[in-house]
Amino acid sequence: MSSESSSRGDRLREYLGLADVGETSVDRKLTDLKRRKTVRRFWTALGIVAVALLLNFSLRTVGFSLVELITQFPFFLDALPEYFPPTTYYGLPFLDVMQYWSFIIEQNLLLSLEGGRWLAGDINIVWGATFVTLAIAFAGTVLGLPGALLFGVMASERVVPYPFNFLFRATMSLIRAIPALVWVLILIPLGGVSPFTATLAIIIDTTGYLGRLFTDELEEIADGPIEGIRSTGANKPQVVSFGMLSQVFRQFIAWIAFDLEHNVRVAISLGLIGAGGLGLELDIQRKTFNYTEMMACIILIVLLAGSVELLSQRVRSYLRGEDEVEKTGVLEAFFTSPRKIIESAAGRRR
Amino acid sequence: MSTLTVENVTKTYGDVTALEDVSFEIEDEFVVLLGESGAGKSTLLRCINGLTEPTTGTVTLDGEPLAGSRPSVGMIFQQHNLVEGVSAYLNALTGSLERTSLLESIFQWHDRADKRRALEALETVGLLDEAHQRVSQMSGGQQQRVGIARALVQDPSLVLADEPVASLDPGSAEDVMGYLKKAATVHEVTALVSLHQVNIAAHFGERFIGLRDGQLLFDVQQGELTPALIDELYGDVETVGLAEYLARDSDEPPTQQRRRVEA
Repeated sequence: MSSESSSRGDRLREYLGLADVGETSVDRKLTDLKRRKTVRRFWTALGIVAVALLLNFSLRTVGFSLVELITQFPFFLDALPEYFPPTTYYGLPFLDVMQYWSFIIEQNLLLSLEGGRWLAGDINIVWGATFVTLAIAFAGTVLGLPGALLFGVMASERVVPYPFNFLFRATMSLIRAIPALVWVLILIPLGGVSPFTATLAIIIDTTGYLGRLFTDELEEIADGPIEGIRSTGANKPQVVSFGMLSQVFRQFIAWIAFDLEHNVRVAISLGLIGAGGLGLELDIQRKTFNYTEMMACIILIVLLAGSVELLSQRVRSYLRGEDEVEKTGVLEAFFTSPRKIIESAAGRRR
Repeated sequence: MSTLTVENVTKTYGDVTALEDVSFEIEDEFVVLLGESGAGKSTLLRCINGLTEPTTGTVTLDGEPLAGSRPSVGMIFQQHNLVEGVSAYLNALTGSLERTSLLESIFQWHDRADKRRALEALETVGLLDEAHQRVSQMSGGQQQRVGIARALVQDPSLVLADEPVASLDPGSAEDVMGYLKKAATVHEVTALVSLHQVNIAAHFGERFIGLRDGQLLFDVQQGELTPALIDELYGDVETVGLAEYLARDSDEPPTQQRRRVEA
C-alpha cells in the first residue's frame, strides 16, 4: 500500500519535472522541459486567479447584476417602439418617419424661414441646431488654420534649426494631450458653456492637430526643389514658400478638408456637454426621456457626420490623386459615423 | 562678357578629398566638364555656385569673389529641381525671386519686365505654348528646358549645369543641349556644363576640362580632345563612343583604337 502511494508520488514528481527520469542527456533535457512547463502553468494559474479577483471587484463596484438585466429587459423592449415609432403604410408596418420629421421641423433643427414676403426680400433664415454644429466646426477650422500653419511650419527642422523647433513641437504636443472636450471645460470662464466656447476649443485643437499633420507632411518633401530655389539667390522666406510650401500645397488643402471633417464630429460631442448644436439637443431630449425625439437627433447627427465625411474624402482623393486616399462608400460613411464621433471626441484620429 | 576664375580650389569632406588644387579661367565660352562619377565635377559646380564653400582657394566672377547663391550664377540640375506642382511659367518666374520681395513674389506681383523675361526665356527653349502646363505633367526633356528658362530669368552672366541630360533619352538629350547652347549664345553667358556622354560633349563643347580623382587632368580647346585623353580620363572603357566625332583628329582608325584597348 505504502509502496504504491510512494510510486504514485514519484510519478507525479516526474510529471512535474521535479525528479530525474534518467541519466542520459536526453532524459535530463526532458526533465528540464517538464520543469519549465510546470513553472509556466503555475504563472498561468496565478494570472487567472488575479483576473477573476479583479473582475469580481469591478462587478461589485459598478453594481452589475444579471438579475437586474433580466428584470429590466422588458422595459428596454418597451422603449424600442419609442425609439423607432411604428406605423403602417398601405397596411404594411413601417417606421413612422413623420414623427421624427415633425420634431425636426418643430424644434427647427435644420433651418426655417421667417417673414412672409419673398419677393420683397423680407426673409429671415433661422439656422437650426445642425447648422450651429456645422458653424462651430467651420469657424474653428478656419480660425485655427493660421495657428496650425505657423506652428506646423516652425516645428519643421528644415525651417527652424534643431533645438528651437522643439519649442513649437512641444506646444502642439501639449495641446493634443488635452482633448477638445476638456478644452471647453478649461475655457468656460471665457464664454460659459456655449457655441462660442466650443469654437474657441476647436481653434486650439486645430492648431495642435492640423499643425502636427503639416509638420509630418513637410518632413517628406524633396531636397531638389529647395536647392533649385536657393540657387536663384532667393532669400530664406522665399526658399521656404517656393521650395518647401509649394511642394505640399495640395496635401495641406487635403489635410484641411480632413480636419474639417474631424471638427464636425468634435463639435457634435461638445454639444453633449452643453456647448450648443445637435449634441445639446440630443442631451436635452435624453434628459426629458423623449426617446423618439432623441432618436431623431441621433439620425440627424449620423446624416451630418456622414455627409461631411463623404464630401471631405471626395475632395481629398481628388487633390491627392486617385490611389492615395481610400474612399469610403456612401453607406459605410453613415454606419461608421457614431464610432468616429466617439473617437474624435477622445482626441483620436483616423 | 564675363570671366570665371577658379584658383587653387580644394574641397575636403572629412578625410575625403573631393577636389585638389584645381585652377582654370574661362571667358565667354561653352565649356564642358568631363570626368568619372566621383571625380569632383558636382563638387566643383557647387563650389562655384555657392551651394558649398571650398575648403581653400577662391572662385571669382569678373574679379568679384563668389560667396553664397546669387542670381548672376544660374544653375541647372540633373534632377531639374523644379517645383513640380505649379506651371512652367511660375517655375521660370522663380528665377527672379532675388529681385522680388517675399510679399510680391507670393502674390505674383512681379515686375511686368520679369514676367516678360520669363515668357521670353520659355520661348528661347521652345516652350512658350506650354507655359501654362504643370511641370509634373511634362516630359523629362521639357522639364529640363524649364530649368534652363529659370536660369535665364535670373539674367546670369554664368550658367552652370550639373549633368543636365544624364536622365534623358538620347533624342531629348540632344534637344536640351541644343537649347542650352542656343540660350548661352543668345544671352551671351559663359557656360560650364558637366557631362557623362562623350559624344554629346564633343559635339557641343568649345573647350573641355577633365577632372580625375579631384585633380585637373586636361584643359583643351575644341579639336584637341583625343581618344587618348578620354582613355586616360575614364580608364579603359570600351563603350565610350568618342570615335565617331574624333576619328578625324586621331592617327589611328577607330576600329584599331578599340583593338588596342582590348589588348
